[in-house]
Amino acid sequence: MATIKLDAKSPTGPIENRWEKHKFDLKLVNPANKRKFTIIVVGTGLAGGSAAASLAELGYNVKAFCIQDSPRRAHSIAAQGGINAAKNYQNDGDSIYRLFYDTVKGGDFRARESNVYRLAQVSTQIIDHCVAIGVPFAREYGGMLDNRSFGGAQVSRTFYARGQTGQQLLLGAYSSMMRQVQEKQVKLYHRREMLDLVLVDGVARGITVRNLTTGEIESHAGDAVVLATGGYGNVFFLSTNAKASNVTASWRCHKKGALFGNPCFTQIHPTCIPVSGDYQSKLTLMSESLRNDGRVWVPKNKGDQRPPSQIPDSERDYYLERIYPSFGNLVPRDVASRQAKFRVDEGRGVGTTGIAVYLDFRDAIQRLGKGVVAEKYGNLFQMYDKITGEDPYETPMRIYPAVHYTMGGLWVDYNLQSTVPGLHVLGEANFSDHGANRLGASALMQGLADGFFVIPYTIGHFLASTPLPKVDENHEAFRASKAEVTQRLSRLLGIKGGHTVDEFHRELGKLMWEYVGMSRTKEGLQKARGEIGKLRDRFWQEVRVAGEANFKNAELEKACRVADFLELGELMAQDAQERNESCGGHFREEYQTPENEAMRDDANYCHVAAWQYQQEGGRMQWTLHKEPLQFEYVKLSTRSYK
Amino acid sequence: MSHHCLTQTKIGKKYLVALTGLGLSLFVLMHMLGNLLILVSPEAYNKYGHALTSNPGIYLAEVGLVAILFVHLALAMKLTRENWKARPVGYAVVSSGEKATSLTTRSMWAQGILIFVFIIHHLITFKFGPHYEVEYGGVMMRDLHRLVIEVFQNPLYVAWYLVALFALAFHLSHGVKSSIQTLGIHHPRYFNKFKMAGILYSVLVGVGFMSQPLYVFLIYKG
Amino acid sequence: MGGASKSKLNLKLKLWRQKNAKDKGYFMDYDVKGISTEASFLEMLDVVNEELVKKGEEPVEFDHDCREGICGMCSLVINGNPHGPDGATTTCQLHMRRFKDGDSVTVEPFRAGAFPVVRDLVVDRSALDRVIQAGGFVSTATGTAQDANCLPVPKDKADRAFLAAACIGCGACVAACKNASASLFVGAKVAHLALLPQGEAEREKRALAMVHQMDAEGFGGCTNTGACAAACPKEISLEHIAILNREFLKASLLER
Repeated sequence: MATIKLDAKSPTGPIENRWEKHKFDLKLVNPANKRKFTIIVVGTGLAGGSAAASLAELGYNVKAFCIQDSPRRAHSIAAQGGINAAKNYQNDGDSIYRLFYDTVKGGDFRARESNVYRLAQVSTQIIDHCVAIGVPFAREYGGMLDNRSFGGAQVSRTFYARGQTGQQLLLGAYSSMMRQVQEKQVKLYHRREMLDLVLVDGVARGITVRNLTTGEIESHAGDAVVLATGGYGNVFFLSTNAKASNVTASWRCHKKGALFGNPCFTQIHPTCIPVSGDYQSKLTLMSESLRNDGRVWVPKNKGDQRPPSQIPDSERDYYLERIYPSFGNLVPRDVASRQAKFRVDEGRGVGTTGIAVYLDFRDAIQRLGKGVVAEKYGNLFQMYDKITGEDPYETPMRIYPAVHYTMGGLWVDYNLQSTVPGLHVLGEANFSDHGANRLGASALMQGLADGFFVIPYTIGHFLASTPLPKVDENHEAFRASKAEVTQRLSRLLGIKGGHTVDEFHRELGKLMWEYVGMSRTKEGLQKARGEIGKLRDRFWQEVRVAGEANFKNAELEKACRVADFLELGELMAQDAQERNESCGGHFREEYQTPENEAMRDDANYCHVAAWQYQQEGGRMQWTLHKEPLQFEYVKLSTRSYK
Repeated sequence: MSHHCLTQTKIGKKYLVALTGLGLSLFVLMHMLGNLLILVSPEAYNKYGHALTSNPGIYLAEVGLVAILFVHLALAMKLTRENWKARPVGYAVVSSGEKATSLTTRSMWAQGILIFVFIIHHLITFKFGPHYEVEYGGVMMRDLHRLVIEVFQNPLYVAWYLVALFALAFHLSHGVKSSIQTLGIHHPRYFNKFKMAGILYSVLVGVGFMSQPLYVFLIYKG
Repeated sequence: MGGASKSKLNLKLKLWRQKNAKDKGYFMDYDVKGISTEASFLEMLDVVNEELVKKGEEPVEFDHDCREGICGMCSLVINGNPHGPDGATTTCQLHMRRFKDGDSVTVEPFRAGAFPVVRDLVVDRSALDRVIQAGGFVSTATGTAQDANCLPVPKDKADRAFLAAACIGCGACVAACKNASASLFVGAKVAHLALLPQGEAEREKRALAMVHQMDAEGFGGCTNTGACAAACPKEISLEHIAILNREFLKASLLER
């Protein structure tokens, strides 16, 4: 395998001019030539949907692939709280620079300054565009857009549509894409799962997919591939991700040469509904926006079994307000999650399992009235009630952290291109903008920034500057890929062992949560690496995949995904073990301050860890490449939310 | 893109069903009010009938009514067929909870057929039935009152008449509010009021009509 | 509270099995034991499927994804009710505490000519996508927008537009309707964009195009039974169908 030189292609010069200058330096494809190019977009969530729409608007032919029965189901839809933008509509001191600053700091100084600044710059255009395509954001009585505040920021810059902001933005991007489907500029393939990336002369020229309805293995060729297939939180089995969210598309690209950046950076969201039993299939998030009005507490006394209403204020520990008086309940997610874990570890957890803390709206209801609280959070309260059978207007919610988002992902340069020429990666699937921790309401921002306002410029540069000989689905590379995928599926079906796919997935999830979860140790990670390897070997000998390959077969779909999670899990543990510091969502117990805060090691770890996959003698191996990070604007400092 | 013919669409057909339905609803109200004159006196009843039939405009009105009825019936039948086709396979278990569909709305087509059969029979019995005559103040006119009294002596006929009127009332109870909705009139503040008004209307028309055979059969002593 | 009243259920399940769109399909009975009342309905089906796989039988296919009531992927008609007996609920949010020990539960796919069965309980709802594709959008290209606050939208209108836009496209309205009508789905989209100034430019064109596509897909007509609104997990009201009716009437009368 060729050695890889990581070139981030970050522009230089004053940060506020970098994107502008870079755009000018990019080559263009003239309007008449755009229709000669076909771009494959895999994934149709916020990033993929917006990319497909805007690329088609420019005149490119787009083939869009979606794993569900409709692009409107992508998991972006479940984002509740909102989307950040540096509009400063509230006149409270916000600016592009401040959003940039907050995001770099929130990410604990492990993101590229140039990327983050660009993200903050285009954030304002995102709001303009989304309003123009009919997204019904919350408004004030005067008709202007409303904002709320979110974790990790001291300004109100979050635009929202009740607790369904992700849904409204996704449907906006979806509608724009569907307009292009009608214009025949986008060809939509639904119920397709990408199972391989096809390279021709080292350039990404197509994909191999399984038609999930018929089971047929299909080849699709194009001039560039845009991957927007989301994050890999489901490696933990239990996460807030949708059931179909998986790493397979990214992982197949990784195995074809795309480097994986910061795989261990996982976000554990502090406010999720706790696990209730073994049958549990997923976890449900309660929007971070609830922390605007809800107060987090546990009883001061260990093992206090009284119902929450009978515990007087003097015997409650509002621990976030106590420890972080200036940010209070609105500290960033990693901080809030860890503190909840500490309380539970101390034995002060609540509920029948003792693995939860309270999020209490009693005071907000007294202050604002039930009506106002219902207006703001009604659908979230209803969701909680449905799942738990408890009414949050009457009794505090029980919450506990859960895996929610993965900041890591395929390594990309400033153009969002991976180390495989032609393969561009957007949204949660790339590693780019959030560093070691993502701030609330920034995922929607990044997905739409990548799709609407970055890729339309940068992909043109790739197409205009790369020789792309005509390639179609009959090319040898496509046939080889198809054969490989088919063989892999029959191998899975042929094992016929005694354990279900979910049993392996659950077991992997337990290992990941125990050793590669909220807090990690060197020994634990070492153990995880060994155990995951053993589990993977057992999987390939003992799994039972029901059914056949030639029809709709959910068990086979899951088996392919879990097989890849079993490899990814090991890499995550290795990355976490390699990073001998704590930063953002990555917390190594060996590296903490006396107050249990994350302790970074900027001298040795101020870099992106980009892992190259290699197969050596039948064993998987990874080589670490480092992209050093420079901070010219935001001074490296210890995060403090006190 | 040009569509033009409103009735090519299911919504377009439904508008016409709604409009004709509302027209027919008004007609049955007027008809019912006229019938109530039987409670006043034979003379009033017959004079009212005579005033209607001796007006030359009656032919126009009759043609109009038949046309409205025909449009209502034909489009409703066409829509019903299209709607059945849209759901070729039904459910093994029929919902019984808050998500259930009421029997009234499910059987609108059957009520419609029953009402149509009744109308034909009704016309044969009365409009084209035995022609008795009576004289008031020197004017000869049809003695419809006598015919009505005769017909409603038959308990079977009364029963059939009542069944048909129940069907009409049910048809109206859904039809009136449904027509208003179809025409696009809906406001959350008035929605329930319209709904109530539709039900009241159907009760009013139904009870009003039923009063006649019941009065004749049970109370009227000649 | 806090799941203190956990208990176990035994159920008699009757599940629809069908190999593909052409297969006739049939009901199969399953005895399910020891299901926790805290589990969701889909988690109950997961348990059934794991047992089937272990027995070497083919598991039941059903659609699902987010499992938190927002993606609209889950479907199922449970004892005659789309998304189960409760209002404002998707199947994935339905929990087993809603059932009693020994209950018989019949599960069928969404039934509509426009939703052909893919396999077992999975149906193809892409007809809804094609209706949106016909006109459920605002034709504003990326990059052309003015500042978001240039055009004020009264709060009540924005709120109403939001309520309409809350539709998750699950198709329960179609499944519930005896005519398999998609009027509520289409009405919600037409109303959402008709209420906002951004949707004004294409208002008439949109209503016409979406209604014609809805008919072309083979959805039935609305007979105002209200079953759709009762089944809608997002409580989208019948008012949206009235809005659709008047938008379409106006557009078709004024069409040139």
